[in-house]
Amino acid sequence: MLLKMFFRSFLIQAGWNYERFQNVGFAYALQPALERACADREKLKAALLRHLQIFNTQPYMASFVLGNIARMEEKAAAEGGDLRHLPGVKQALASSFASIGDRIFWGRLKPMTVQVCLLVWAACGFFGWLFTGLPEAPAAGVLLAGPLAGIAAYSLFSVYIRWTGLRAGYACGGSANCALDAANWPRLIRLLSAAGFAMSLAIALLAFALLVGFNRGACRPADLALKLGLPLAVLALHRVMRALGRSVFFSAGLILAVSALLFGLLGLEPLKLYL
Amino acid sequence: MLALKAFASAALAGLLGLDTVQAGQLLLSRPALVGPLLGWINGCPLEGAKIGILLELLYIDFIPVGGVVPPNGCAAAAAGVLAHAAGGLAPSLAFFVGMAAGVGYSPLEYRLRAARSGLNAAIDAQVEAGDFRLGRWLGRAMLAEGLAMAGYVLALTGAAWLLARLPGLPRLYPGTDFAYSLMPWLGLSGLYFRFRTQVYKKG
Repeated sequence: MLLKMFFRSFLIQAGWNYERFQNVGFAYALQPALERACADREKLKAALLRHLQIFNTQPYMASFVLGNIARMEEKAAAEGGDLRHLPGVKQALASSFASIGDRIFWGRLKPMTVQVCLLVWAACGFFGWLFTGLPEAPAAGVLLAGPLAGIAAYSLFSVYIRWTGLRAGYACGGSANCALDAANWPRLIRLLSAAGFAMSLAIALLAFALLVGFNRGACRPADLALKLGLPLAVLALHRVMRALGRSVFFSAGLILAVSALLFGLLGLEPLKLYL
Repeated sequence: MLALKAFASAALAGLLGLDTVQAGQLLLSRPALVGPLLGWINGCPLEGAKIGILLELLYIDFIPVGGVVPPNGCAAAAAGVLAHAAGGLAPSLAFFVGMAAGVGYSPLEYRLRAARSGLNAAIDAQVEAGDFRLGRWLGRAMLAEGLAMAGYVLALTGAAWLLARLPGLPRLYPGTDFAYSLMPWLGLSGLYFRFRTQVYKKG
């Protein structure tokens, strides 16, 4: 039953809608537990309708709630207990796990997959991610290895969390703080932040080192200074635009508009950041 | 052959796009993967990888929390790579076409999600009537989303093909090339500030 719920939990957002969010996906994932717990079709109908109400949480962490609710439904069916507090427990867990999951997965691990990709590519000697005009011919395997390395690590962890979350929730089902202590979440979040920042710094230093390395001896010091200044100017532009509440697309659009005007329409000779 | 590859790529984008929200969330729809994959299918893996990773660096700035519909990275990468491979645009311009395509897909995705709200009453009625097959609703929702993504990518590829035939377009390329060469730095700065803010705020 848990295995069925686990596989169904991958579709928890398939019916995502603005009225009740993940309700259909949640009821679909919970259905194997409800079918086992409910003796007759009327009880199953009532249970499904109960879980077709509003529900929303972080998709990977939903398994903690699924396991808990499955156990609560089973207990209520077996012991005849009432389920008046079920919606409250469900809502409380959904909010708590959404907050944890958003920070861990969306805020930290997802950007880290990009960092892993860049580091793998750099280790393989592919620098097209930094110098867009660099003539290179890396093997397709190298180009796919970068993103796949990060994605594989991320997905293994997310699948692990889905499975262990389901089991942990099912093991302690029934309380509003069930499985919230399954891991030291604040410590994990701090560690991921530090690791992500360290990798960001490493990649930034690598990028500037590559910029200097590719240009050293090939251009005058004044040109090299300009080539170093341009990325710093982009960094400053992004910082200022973020402070002004503008998205990264605004900065990208601004750079495109100025470049197209200067080098496209006015015909100025553009410089290249490498060589 | 080119058109066939474009159709196959758009269909694959529709399939991979489901991973963004609806099925799996295993990051198979991220531009960093979609870019080289579609580039490889269309005979330009290097340009696909570059367009993909640069879009990834920009798109990673958006977090899909709550009911927010962030710009769609899969649509962006697929449209960007196909604008170059099948549409014939220079990689630099194709990248910016892709960037805009991902933003443009959000309203479509919003409408699809909003349309699904109307199905709740029908699902309730079905369960009330004793039919507990919820999976078919999820299947329908995924089919609609997949078709929408594939159609959108294909339409943009056609638009890029027409754009590439505009006289005087190559005059823009020195400017788009230069802007394109600065995108890695814009993306890296986003990555840096994301984690710097987190460390500064102590998690």
